[in-house]
This record gives sequence, C-alpha cells and structure tokens, in this order.
Amino acid sequence: MSDLLLSLALILVKLGLIFGVILGMAAYLVLAERKILGRMQLRHGPNRLGPFGLIQPMADVIKLITKEDFMPDQADKWLFLFAPGLTALTALLSFVVVPFAPPLTIFGRELPMVVCDLNIGLLYFLGISSLGVYGVVIGGWASNSKYSLLGAMRSIGQLLSYELAMGLALIPVVLSAKSFSLTDVVMSQADWPNLLKHPVAFLIFLVSIAAESKRTPFDMPEAENEIVGGFHTEYSGMRFGLFFVGEYINLVIIGSMLTVLFLGGWHGPLLPPIVWFAIKVLFVAFCFIWARGTMPRLRYDQLLHLGWKVLIPLALLNLLVTAAVLLAIG
Amino acid sequence: MENLVQTALNNVNMWAIMPSIILVCFAMGLLLINAFLPRGATKPAMWISLIGLAVTAFSVISGWGSPQYGFSDAVALDNFATFFNVTFLIAAAMTILMSDDYIRREGYPIGEYYPLILFTTAGAMWMASGTDMMTIFLGLEVMSISLYVLAGFFRGDVRSNEAGLKYFLLGAFSTGFLLYGIALIYGVTGSTRLSEIGVFLNAHPSLLSNPMTLAGIMLLSIGFLFKIAAAPFHMWTPDVYEGAPTPITAFMSAGPKAAAFAAFLRIMEYCFFSLKPEWTAVLWALAVLTMIIGNVIAISQTNVKRMLAYSSIAHAGYALVGMVAANEIGYSAILFYMLAYTFMNIGAFAILVLAGKKGEENLTLEGLSGFGYKRPLLGVAFTICLFSLMGIPPTAGFAGKFYIFAGAVKAGYIWLAIIGVLNSAVSLYYYLRVMVYMYFREAEEDYSWVKVPVSVVVSIVIALVGIFYLGIIPGAVMDLARLAIF
Amino acid sequence: MLDNYLPIFTLILIAVCFAIGSTVFSGLIGQKKPSEVKLAPYECGMPLVGTARERFSVKFYIIAMLFIVFDIEVVFMYPWAVMFKRLGMFGFVEMGVFILILLVGYIYVWKKGALEWE
Repeated sequence: MSDLLLSLALILVKLGLIFGVILGMAAYLVLAERKILGRMQLRHGPNRLGPFGLIQPMADVIKLITKEDFMPDQADKWLFLFAPGLTALTALLSFVVVPFAPPLTIFGRELPMVVCDLNIGLLYFLGISSLGVYGVVIGGWASNSKYSLLGAMRSIGQLLSYELAMGLALIPVVLSAKSFSLTDVVMSQADWPNLLKHPVAFLIFLVSIAAESKRTPFDMPEAENEIVGGFHTEYSGMRFGLFFVGEYINLVIIGSMLTVLFLGGWHGPLLPPIVWFAIKVLFVAFCFIWARGTMPRLRYDQLLHLGWKVLIPLALLNLLVTAAVLLAIG
Repeated sequence: MENLVQTALNNVNMWAIMPSIILVCFAMGLLLINAFLPRGATKPAMWISLIGLAVTAFSVISGWGSPQYGFSDAVALDNFATFFNVTFLIAAAMTILMSDDYIRREGYPIGEYYPLILFTTAGAMWMASGTDMMTIFLGLEVMSISLYVLAGFFRGDVRSNEAGLKYFLLGAFSTGFLLYGIALIYGVTGSTRLSEIGVFLNAHPSLLSNPMTLAGIMLLSIGFLFKIAAAPFHMWTPDVYEGAPTPITAFMSAGPKAAAFAAFLRIMEYCFFSLKPEWTAVLWALAVLTMIIGNVIAISQTNVKRMLAYSSIAHAGYALVGMVAANEIGYSAILFYMLAYTFMNIGAFAILVLAGKKGEENLTLEGLSGFGYKRPLLGVAFTICLFSLMGIPPTAGFAGKFYIFAGAVKAGYIWLAIIGVLNSAVSLYYYLRVMVYMYFREAEEDYSWVKVPVSVVVSIVIALVGIFYLGIIPGAVMDLARLAIF
Repeated sequence: MLDNYLPIFTLILIAVCFAIGSTVFSGLIGQKKPSEVKLAPYECGMPLVGTARERFSVKFYIIAMLFIVFDIEVVFMYPWAVMFKRLGMFGFVEMGVFILILLVGYIYVWKKGALEWE
C-alpha cells in the first residue's frame, strides 16, 4: 500500500515539476524568440518589464487572460471551444516519455528520470504527435472563416505528408536501439550519438519535424501575410493563448526529441547529464528560432514536392542501406 | 521468444504460395508498365497478363498431387486449392481474352483493367488455399477490393458507378459480418487456424450449442453467402451484374463466386464438421430459396444481362445443393460445377460482349431479335452455352447438375433433388425465350456492327471445348475433383 | 502493466483542468462587449462573401488517401526494426521485398501524377 502511495506521490511530484518546467520554458521561449528575432533585425525586443524584459511573459499571460473572450457567431460552438484545449493537451502529453537523465537510485529504488518509461515510448510519441493535427483542423473548421479553413487544410496536407518521412527516418534509430523505449534509445548512443551513426536519417527527421512544427520555413498553415493567421485567425484571448502555448511546448518537445533520438540524450563529458540535456534542447530551440529569423517560406507545392518526392524515397533508401550495413557488421 | 521466431521462420514455405506470388509479380509489373505506356495502349497489357496467367497455370498444375503447406499451416496448396486455382485462371484468361475490344469500344482503354483482374485472381487463389481465417480474409479482401474497382470501371457511366458503389457498400458490410464471425469463433476457440478450430470444437461438445459459437458460424456464413449471392443475400447481384462491364460480370459470376465457395466449403468442413447436421439443415432451406428466387425472378427479365445475373443466383443455389449433400460426390460435384459454370457462363457473356452496341442499350430480348440467323455461328455458340446453362445433355451443365443431384439423392435429400430438377425445368423457359427471339423473330437490324476479334473467338472456343469436354466425358474431370476434396 | 500509464492519465487530467480552468477564468474576468461586426468572421474588414463551408481541392483528399496507404506500410516496419537482429538475413530480404512492393505503388502514384500539386 505504502509502495503504491509512494509511487503515486512520485508521479505527482514528477508531473508537477515537469508541468511547471515545460510551461515555464514555453513562456520564456516566447521571450527568447522575440529577443533573438529582435537582435537579428537590429532591434532590442521586449526590454521594459524587468531586466532584459524578463517579466514580459507574466505580462503576456495577464494580457491574454483579461482579454475579451468571444466567439464568431457562425462558429461551431463546441468544436471551437474544444480545439485549443486539444492542441495544448497533445503537446503536453508528448513530454511524459522523454527521458532527461539516466535512472537515479534513491533509497534503494531505481528511479527512472522520465515520467513514465513506456516500452513503446517511440510509438507513443509518434501517435500523440499525429493527434496534434486534430486540434488545428478542428479549430480551423469550427471557426467557419475562410482563412481558418485554408490554414487547416494546408496544415493537414503538410502534416500528413511529412509524418511519413518522419516515421521512416526513425526506423534506423530503432534498428540500432533494438527497442521502442526512449531510455534504451539514449542508452544505445553512449558511444556515438545517432547524429553520426545515421546522418541521413537525422537530416530527414530534422526537416520533417520542422514541418510538423508548422514553423518557418514551413509555416504555410499560419502564413500571416497570405492567410492572416491560418487556423487561429478567429481565436482570441486565452483560447488563442492555448494554441500559442501548445506551439511553444511543441518547440520544447521537438528539441527534446531531437536530443533523445539523435543528439545522444543526456550523454556528454564533464557536466552532469541533466545539464547536457538542457543545453542540447535549448540549442535545438535556438536553431529553430534562428531559422525563423533567416529563412523565407516555402511555396506549398515546393513543400509537398520536398516531402513526397525527395524525403520519402531518400528515407526508404536510407532505411535499406542502414539495415544492410547493420547486417554486414553483425 | 527466440524459439518463436525460429519456429516462424522454419515454417515459411514459399512453395505454398508460389503460384500467387508469380501472378502478383506479373500484376505489379504490369501496373508499372501501364504507368509508362501511353493511354489507350492496352494490347501489350493484355498479352502480358495472359502470359502471367499461363505461367501461373503451369506452376499451379505442376503442384497437383504434391500438396505444400506453409506459414504454420496458414496456407495449404493442396489438390482442392489447385483445382479451384485452375478454375480461377481459366475464368481470368477467358475474361481477359474477351475484354480488349470491349473496353476500347466502350471508351475506357485503361491498362489498369488487366492488373486488377490479375489481383482479383490472386485474391481468389488465396481464398482457395487459405487454411487460416486470416489468410482467407486477406484473400477475400484483395479479391473484393479489386472487384469493386472493376465493377465501377466505366467511371463516366452511371450504371457502372452504381454497380461499383453498391457492390462496395454492401460488400464492405458483408465483410464486416464475416470479420465479426471470425472474431466470435476466435473468442470461443482461441484460434484462427481452421483445423485447430475444428479439433477444439470437436473436443468440447458443450461449446457446440454455445450461442457465441452459433452466432459466429451464422455471421461467418452470411459473409460467404453474400459473396456467392445466395438468397436472401442476393439483393446486390442484379444491379451490380447489370451495371458492371460485361466481361467483369462474367468474371464475377464465375471466378470470385467459386472462390467464395472454396473458402466456405473448407471452413465448414474443417471447422464445423461437428455441427454438420445443423448447418446442412440451414443450407437446405437457403439452397431451395436461392434456386427458386433466382429462377422465378429471371423469368420476368427482359434484359439478357440481368437475366443472366438472376440465373447466376439460381446456379449458386444448385451448387449449394452439393454442400447440403455434404458427401464425397456432393463436394466434388461443386468443384466440377464451378468449372463447368465458368465455361458456360463466361462463354455466354462473351457472345453478349460481341452482340452489344456501344453503351449496350440493345442487350434486351427485343434487341437480340434475329441475331441467330443474321450471325449464325455466334448464334449457335450462344445457343450451346444456353443449353449448357439449362442442363441439356451432352453439355457440361447437364453433367454438373447430374452429379450435384446425385450427391443429394445419395445423401438422402430426395426432395431437394426434386426441387432442383423442377427449378431446372423452370429455367428452360427463360433460356429458351432468348433462343425464340434469336431465331424466330424478324431481324430489325443486320448486326453489321458486330465485329469478331480473334481473341474473343479464342475465348468462345475455349468455352465450347470446355462445355463439350465436360459434357461428353465428365468422368475424367470428376475423378480429379474426387481427388481434390478433403 | 497498466500502472505504467497512470502518469499519463494523471497528466491528461491535469492538462484538461489547466485548459478548462484557464479559459473559464479568462472568460470570467475578461470584459464582454460583443458587437455584430466583432462576431463576424474576419475577412480583412470587408463585408462577408459567402460562407467558409465550401468544397476544397480534391488534392487534399488524394494526399490523405496516399498517406493512409503508405503510413500503414511504415507501421509494418516498426516491429521488423525491433526484431531485426533476430530475423537476420531472412528479415532483411523480406523487408527488401516489402519495400520493393511499396516502391511499385510509389512509382505508380508518382507516374500517375497524384504527387503533382498544380
């Protein structure tokens, strides 16, 4: 009984910690993005609230909460309410399988540094991340606005096209880890990170996950200067906030996933594992912001062309070659 | 874990699926070739698919007498499967031979037509050789999905669209029944392997009256009875057969129907032999119903294609009689009958293919007035096919019906045999009426549009040779059929 | 086994509470001044033209169908990847054949123009 209570308490502690850390990270990534983009465009970015604008995220939250909360009168009411919540939920759910440090032994209990070390962690991640598209599509459809619908349609085409390449790029990782558990995946990179073992898979995964994140240069679904805001055109206040939070949590997830799957997870010299993990995640996030600051947007046909005609055959070929090499070296 | 993998690997036996592998390879190659050929170039596709069928037939026939089992007994390429496979291959070959000019005439010279027929045939072959519910289901799906597309192949034609959609919706529904039945049976017995199910049910007699078992058998049977178009699950047949392209109608009523019979027969015999008295009683009623409905409604049809559709329901009824008999002669008669029906039915449709104008508005009884003496050779061939469908000696139809009813009599179902014979008598009316129109009516047209391409002639000749061979010396094939059953 | 998933269910609960809570809270303290123009769908400030419930390009459906076809193939590769070492050469050849079949479909689809976006 006490065992169960203990594990329950542990779960709650871990969840609470992670919930706080992720939301905090998401909030400060917004600030970081504005700051970095500002610097890239020779501006200061937000700098009024607190030193370096550090209190800015709080102000944003207060602003979002106190905003008027309205819904277009032609909208599909329940779906409209449901969509942002779903987006935030699916974004949050992905994080539970991410191992951020090696298992810790406290009081004779082995404590995995992951909320739940599912033996199908990788499949779980893929499943949950593909659920994310529902929030976008439902939101875009329910708004009953042309821009929203366009954004939703664009995003569904984009996400579906790139999910294939993403799935195929992960198979080499599974091949060398021999497991779907993300902890095992990290363990298998103790010597070399998968980035060096499977460079092609890494590239394909990078591009695909960037497309999945709907960020520049793949931000057709919300291209401001073409379709206003895409699927969240009609959203305001905290509901827009949830979409927004979801997007930045996704950025954290992408960073974590790239770290876990290709960059060697917590492995690294000198510094403690969790620090290495954080550094890698933040570096990936920085790169994504960097890309947003410097890259032009693709056209939609280029996007689908890249996904279907380049990445998928490349991923298939890479898969076969990887398997052949692995077989050859035994 | 290691052992499981090893066992699974050791149990792979590619020879057990070699014919279908060959066929599918040809179909896929053809698909690719089609993609690179210009639209309208269907002749090469036809030849390649015929070569594919020939090679497959060679591989099938060379396996006669040396059964192959593979994939942990999920596939059995025994004589039973081989006999049916030959039937499918003949049906496919005859269909392809009569198709090329037809799809050109109707304005859909699309090369995918041929690979789809090959895929259908491959699916049918899996059904015949499947000894696991899952293999059978897989075959059924491959076969059906290709057929849905083929039925709606003339996408600009409303009736063809209707046929495709109707077949798809009802077919999907019946597949659901089938799958649910499989699930229930799996729930009762813990296996999808046909022989294991049979042994398990035999060892646990208390399960035989379990409602779950009975519901499972019922749902399973509904799925197959739908595919063989037995009453009361025949509603889709007339519309689909009428709307689908004529060669596809011919093929559907022969090949896939035989495949459904093959799988149904195997499942009933392997899994539910302990319940034989019960299911033969149910099938008795269904066979009678199917024969009567098919024949009686066929009488009132004026469209020959639709009439043949109803007659195919009736023929499914005759074949069901063989299943009711459930003895050696009854089962082997089904095999024989399916082969005979392939010849006579596809032969009849081949002549309809020639007789039709573009759009096939003239395939009514009136539209065939005088066809018999304006085009005497075709008329005679059509007459022979119709005689065979009626069951007049010395044709294949007679021999088939003779064996079927002999099986029923031997099993003690005298009344069933009598009803069957009476039904055959009813069928004389609507078959003979076609001949009346063909020979004793003033010709309104001279049928000058009827072109007779060599390939269709080959198809008709195959049909006639088959009809007479099976009709005059049925013993030879019947002996093979006897060797083929379990 | 199921207690592996306990944290996930807990997290779902927390996240749902978070989502509902934040929007409800914001709805309570936010101001409410609806007007007809404000509640209309946004079209750059112009009067509305038609509704958004319109048909869209069949291309999207094709993408969706192709996705289903190919994604199911990809799903089959995952179990294979985990068992790769045990299956050895046999598994490799089988997967090669599988990918070959996949490629036939892929080339066919490409050649038929389903991947073009014009």
